[in-house]
Amino acid sequence: MPTSSATPRLGDLERAVMEHLWTSAETHPEGVTVREVLESFEGERDIAYTTVMTVLDRLSKKELVTRVLDGRAWRYLPADTREALTAQTMRRTLDDMDVTDRRAALMHFLDGATESEIEDVRSALAEIDARPRRGIRLPGRRR
Amino acid sequence: MGSTGTINAVIALALIILAVLLAWPVPRLMARTQMFRHSPRAALFAWQSVTLGAILAALAAAPALAPLVLFDGQEVWKHFAILMLAGCASGLMLARLLVAGHSIGRRMRVLRARHRELVDIISLQPQPGSKLRVLDHPAPTAYCLPGRESRVVISQGVLDAMPPKAFAAVLAHEGAHLRARHDLLIEFFSVIHETVPEPVRCGVAMSEVRLLVEALADRASVRRVGALPTRVALLTLSGSKAPVGAMAAGTGSTAVRLDLVDRAAPRPLLSGVIYAYAAGLIALPLGLLALAWS
Repeated sequence: MPTSSATPRLGDLERAVMEHLWTSAETHPEGVTVREVLESFEGERDIAYTTVMTVLDRLSKKELVTRVLDGRAWRYLPADTREALTAQTMRRTLDDMDVTDRRAALMHFLDGATESEIEDVRSALAEIDARPRRGIRLPGRRR
Repeated sequence: MGSTGTINAVIALALIILAVLLAWPVPRLMARTQMFRHSPRAALFAWQSVTLGAILAALAAAPALAPLVLFDGQEVWKHFAILMLAGCASGLMLARLLVAGHSIGRRMRVLRARHRELVDIISLQPQPGSKLRVLDHPAPTAYCLPGRESRVVISQGVLDAMPPKAFAAVLAHEGAHLRARHDLLIEFFSVIHETVPEPVRCGVAMSEVRLLVEALADRASVRRVGALPTRVALLTLSGSKAPVGAMAAGTGSTAVRLDLVDRAAPRPLLSGVIYAYAAGLIALPLGLLALAWS
């Protein structure tokens, strides 16, 4: 079970580590080590090696990160691009509207909608996802 | 003594009939009565009352028979068996509700926490201390994650497609959900919906309650930002490509909500009647039980 309020700092770090993995995915397609992640934070954040390890471990439990053994060290890779994860999340929130308790977990703006209306929004979303987006978008790029 | 017994039996029967009425035809009738939608807050009270009234009536049937056993010495054993049976039925029902409530509630909190953690990671850089999370996606979407650590989630598509005032309407809508803890209301009805056996389950009631909760949040948005931005927000988020006029003439939930946005003015008389009706639904089973014990 995920811990909720006890770990705001850890949540913040998860985000920062994930951002780093996304940006370095282009230059390091083989993945990065804990040491490399730690070095990227040098001067920015004062964190321990074990903390980075914990964060990467949590991220892989959440299936946001995959890891491969390279010699004696693990190399970590983002499981997917931010775009793909975002699209998947958006799709899931609509799919969850078929199941009562999952639907109730988050309150969708369209919660009052009928099955067919939700289906319309779902297909509109699929259409947008199928379209190539304009411009080259690097993973993890901020607007 | 015999007449007391008859009265108690009649009251118990009346309570059972009331429970059946409140569980089956009344919700179906209420879902079809569109008048309720013009006073969503009162209507949601009425929906809670009809649900609680049905549960109370069913639970009270056994206690209504109790005086029979306690005060009628002649046929104690015969009545005792009936009472035990009724007591067991009531107890089982209550236990089932409590267990379902507990497990559904826990499951929802886990789902929320997981989704919140995911959104916190994949969203664009949030403002420090802000609950708002923006997903980098061109399709407009908006939802909120209720709870202690709540979040309002919107997509970049909302920011791109909406004028600032309509965006403010979305925030007012979601803010109303979070502030008034509409999630607890939905959770209550979800628990009942999941607990009652399939044949008794009332799908139209659940969708009507969802619609009313959304209409209530729309009203908050109308009050804060105005009717026009609320309409624009609704149209954008429903993914509608139809012109406003055509949409409003439709029969879907967006059309209903647009129509309700236009009639968001308070209706005190209607609300009063609905509140009285809601109070009656609770008072009836309690009154019958009190009568059985008097």
